[in-house]
Amino acid sequence: MEIDDILKELDTIFREILKNDTITLGRETTAKDVDGWDSLTNMRLITAIEKYYDIRFGLREILKFKNVGDLCASIQAKKK
Amino acid sequence: MTFLSLPFVVLFTCCLILFYSVKSNYQKIVLLLGSCVFVGYFNIAYLIIAALISAITFYWGRWIGAQKGENKRKRVFVGGILFLVLFLVSFKYINFIGENIAVLLGWFGIDWKGAITSVFFPLGISFYTFQALGYLIDVYWEEEEPERSLPDFMLYMLFFMKFLSGPIERAFDMLPQLKLEKRFDYDTVTYGLKLVLIGLMKKVIIADRLGPHLDTIFASVHDASGAQLLIAGLLYPIELYADFSGYTDMAIGGAMMFGYKLSPNFNRPFVAKTITDFWRRWHMSLSFWVRDYLYQPIAASKRYWGQWGIIYALVVTFIILGIWHGAGWNYVIYGLIQGLVISYEMLTVAYRNKVENRVGKSVFGVYSILRTYLLFAFSLLFFRISSLPEVGYMIRNLSFHVNSSFKELRLGMSDHECIVAGIAVVMLFVYEYFMSKKDLIKELGQCRKVVRWSIYYLFVILVFLFGQFGSEDFIYLQF
Repeated sequence: MEIDDILKELDTIFREILKNDTITLGRETTAKDVDGWDSLTNMRLITAIEKYYDIRFGLREILKFKNVGDLCASIQAKKK
Repeated sequence: MTFLSLPFVVLFTCCLILFYSVKSNYQKIVLLLGSCVFVGYFNIAYLIIAALISAITFYWGRWIGAQKGENKRKRVFVGGILFLVLFLVSFKYINFIGENIAVLLGWFGIDWKGAITSVFFPLGISFYTFQALGYLIDVYWEEEEPERSLPDFMLYMLFFMKFLSGPIERAFDMLPQLKLEKRFDYDTVTYGLKLVLIGLMKKVIIADRLGPHLDTIFASVHDASGAQLLIAGLLYPIELYADFSGYTDMAIGGAMMFGYKLSPNFNRPFVAKTITDFWRRWHMSLSFWVRDYLYQPIAASKRYWGQWGIIYALVVTFIILGIWHGAGWNYVIYGLIQGLVISYEMLTVAYRNKVENRVGKSVFGVYSILRTYLLFAFSLLFFRISSLPEVGYMIRNLSFHVNSSFKELRLGMSDHECIVAGIAVVMLFVYEYFMSKKDLIKELGQCRKVVRWSIYYLFVILVFLFGQFGSEDFIYLQF
């Protein structure tokens, strides 16, 4: 699975959860760059991503995500 | 020895002169010795306890880092966390726990006198214990390498500009700064000094002017009229803000004079439109601490509960934030209110957006700012008054009723004091508004000499003319 494909799928998930059709994520995107992505919506995004890819992130893994690139790398590793 | 005392001014000045006079190898020793004098001046036992906890945390961090297997690391880490939590509980919460056990046993007819009592309360304990907890968690999460230098770590824990009331510093922000040599930089030192002056103005012109009058009302709520209770409740957030942000400005400014950058604690909290946003602007070093080390792990572990998982994490986190301030049910309720209001705000985002679109952005904005202020002011009644029956009385009696005349609304302040306090508060908000647009202190430094020095003299004259001196205490010292 390519990172660019994951990014497109994440765009859809983020747009749906945060109710914002203008969201376009990049590898360097962080919560500060996206309106509405904060500590309250973060876990909803994580569970939606886990459900979509049928994967499960570890607790420390979630806490260590620094940007969307880290998230994509983790999804890619789990879907191998 | 608080920031406003003569011994502190002497200690600070001596440290500053020595710091920039000695070779860079000795700079940290000067600060560490200065910090030991500062803490030990209150009570030598405070220094011994703080130094012991700092040294134990240092070696415990190294012990976690030295473990090879994950299970072993986890065991050592949990041991460290338990040790620090038990330490904090035994000094700060043991009386509260003892009293509640006695009440519980009383329900079963057992007369227990609550034999557990704490000997004394070391100053700054809540701040440096949270700093130590954060450090061990960062080492365990591999966000931070275990520190190698004991003197650097001791200074990170004991640095006198932040020891008593924070900001609660993160290891990754402060420890790297301690590795660098500090040379005298005129601009940085004078910037720090200006920040100290701003903090001093907030403290002596606003907080200490309002403080005694509000203290009188809160100390005897039964003697005050409904309108006085209302005014006191509405003014208390301003007093607390001027006191704590004034202290923080002095702490940040003082540290800056030594070349160190401490974390910001406030960002115009009274323009927040929700309590959620408010906590991103108020006591930020504590609220970000609980967000990262409590809320995020709890919310992540309960994420399959959906919205309820987030609500659970919010309520637990804010109750702990509340009780961090002190051992009492009033602080539990203070935290609970924050957690419940933030949960409510999270569940009603769509509804609020709909209302905003209907009534217009500016009208809804003003309403939201007022609503947030009032909610916070209400919750602060539980923060300010430790007796729950007294808080209940105050809430039931808030009204516009005056006992004799509307002069009561001045809460015992003279006309002159009301005018000074009123103008100072407005000036503070105007200063903060412009400060959010551009750095006024930096701009001032670039003005012509005559303008610059006229303003400095004006500020100093204002402090001496309108400042209330005599009280050295800061509200957050008790935590």
